[in-house]
Amino acid sequence: MTNEEANRLLNAYIDGELDPAKSLELEAHLAENPSVRAACERLREMSAAIRDKADYHATPAWLEARVRAAIPAGPENVSARWWRWLTPVGAVAADWLRPAASFAAVALVTWVVALGTMRPGEDERITQEVLASHVRATLSNRSYDVASSDQHTVKPWLSARLAFSPPVADLSASGFELVGGRLDYIGSQPVAVLVYKRRAHLIDVFVWPIETQKSEQMSTRDGFNIEHFAKNGMGFWVVSDLNRNELDDFARLLAEQGAAL
Amino acid sequence: MTLAADSVLLHHTHPAPLHKPLSEPKRRFEQLVLPHFDAAYNLARWLTRNDHDAQDVVQEAVLRAFRFFDGLRGEARPWLLSIVRNTFLTWVQINRPADTVEFDDALVEIIPTDDDGPEIQAARNFDRKMLNEAIAALPLLFREALILRELEDLSYKDIARITDVPIGTVMSRLARARRLLAESLGAPSNISGTQVHK
Repeated sequence: MTNEEANRLLNAYIDGELDPAKSLELEAHLAENPSVRAACERLREMSAAIRDKADYHATPAWLEARVRAAIPAGPENVSARWWRWLTPVGAVAADWLRPAASFAAVALVTWVVALGTMRPGEDERITQEVLASHVRATLSNRSYDVASSDQHTVKPWLSARLAFSPPVADLSASGFELVGGRLDYIGSQPVAVLVYKRRAHLIDVFVWPIETQKSEQMSTRDGFNIEHFAKNGMGFWVVSDLNRNELDDFARLLAEQGAAL
Repeated sequence: MTLAADSVLLHHTHPAPLHKPLSEPKRRFEQLVLPHFDAAYNLARWLTRNDHDAQDVVQEAVLRAFRFFDGLRGEARPWLLSIVRNTFLTWVQINRPADTVEFDDALVEIIPTDDDGPEIQAARNFDRKMLNEAIAALPLLFREALILRELEDLSYKDIARITDVPIGTVMSRLARARRLLAESLGAPSNISGTQVHK
């Protein structure tokens, strides 16, 4: 082990995050190298000093009381508040979308599915396939076969070419423009891909019927955020370079709108 | 955390009788999540670097956590902290757009060069006030990694999840954070100068 390598491992070592074999190797190196040993000691002291002296800011009592009081008591309030939060675009959108608010509670419940039903190998493969499709489409500038911001154009186009009819939500009121749709082949079957746009970011939504409900998933690959959820017998995979927060909002809106269609 | 432990946590039953069935989610939330209110506030306070903004962020984050309570899997504290962080990121984009420069990952990739590091005074002698100011002056990505590790004592795995990066990135951010801290505290000219206060 070189000094350089040892120095690189010091932080993980003092944090107890180094595996046992590497730890032993590093300790042997430390025993023979006073300069690295000194660096290690300085790191430990630094860590101890931070734990000892950095301020741990306690919550003001009034703030905790206020937040506790603001937490709604019943499930009805939950969905209503949840809904308001998801539609910061304004009262018009909120009014327009309000009929779907009752689905929010349903969406929340559907969101949580048992942990045990996942097959990690298959999910991993599908994640890679949807990501590859998204990247390919973006690179080749061929993101959609049918270009339309009208859900009533995109949906029939897809339905005519697939054995199922994918839900196509209009989320333009929330700032996610539908730009089109395309067909792709994922997990050994033809699937629908809905393409949305948020500013300069394209969002691909892969949809196909699934038999078993799977748990909601989120991951990040190569700078792309990926989300998966299931809704009314349809599996949704959402892929985009959009930031995680906005993509979360998008996925939740999609889950609710999908239920309303 | 193992799956078995997860299910224990998620399916934990409460011995108290249900007087008001409607308040069940709130009660479970109060028992599982609200004990971590201080952790949430501490993180928000270190991210925003002032009380007022921290109060705004943590209030929104906790209410948001309640709305997404059904999505809780595993331990409540890292879950809540990830919501605090996301809420902060949204907040900062709206309220402090200039600060988003700090999110630049290029900052993270700077690799320490010399072997021994600067001559620093013994860390145990650090002045409390200077140390706090030096941590507050760290760029956001380093500051949050350091706070999650040293003040919340979270594992690299939890920090990776909360900050949405690979474990290796957590390691390099922590190394960089400690090194920047040592540099800013070790050189007397920096401590009295303007660099500590951004």
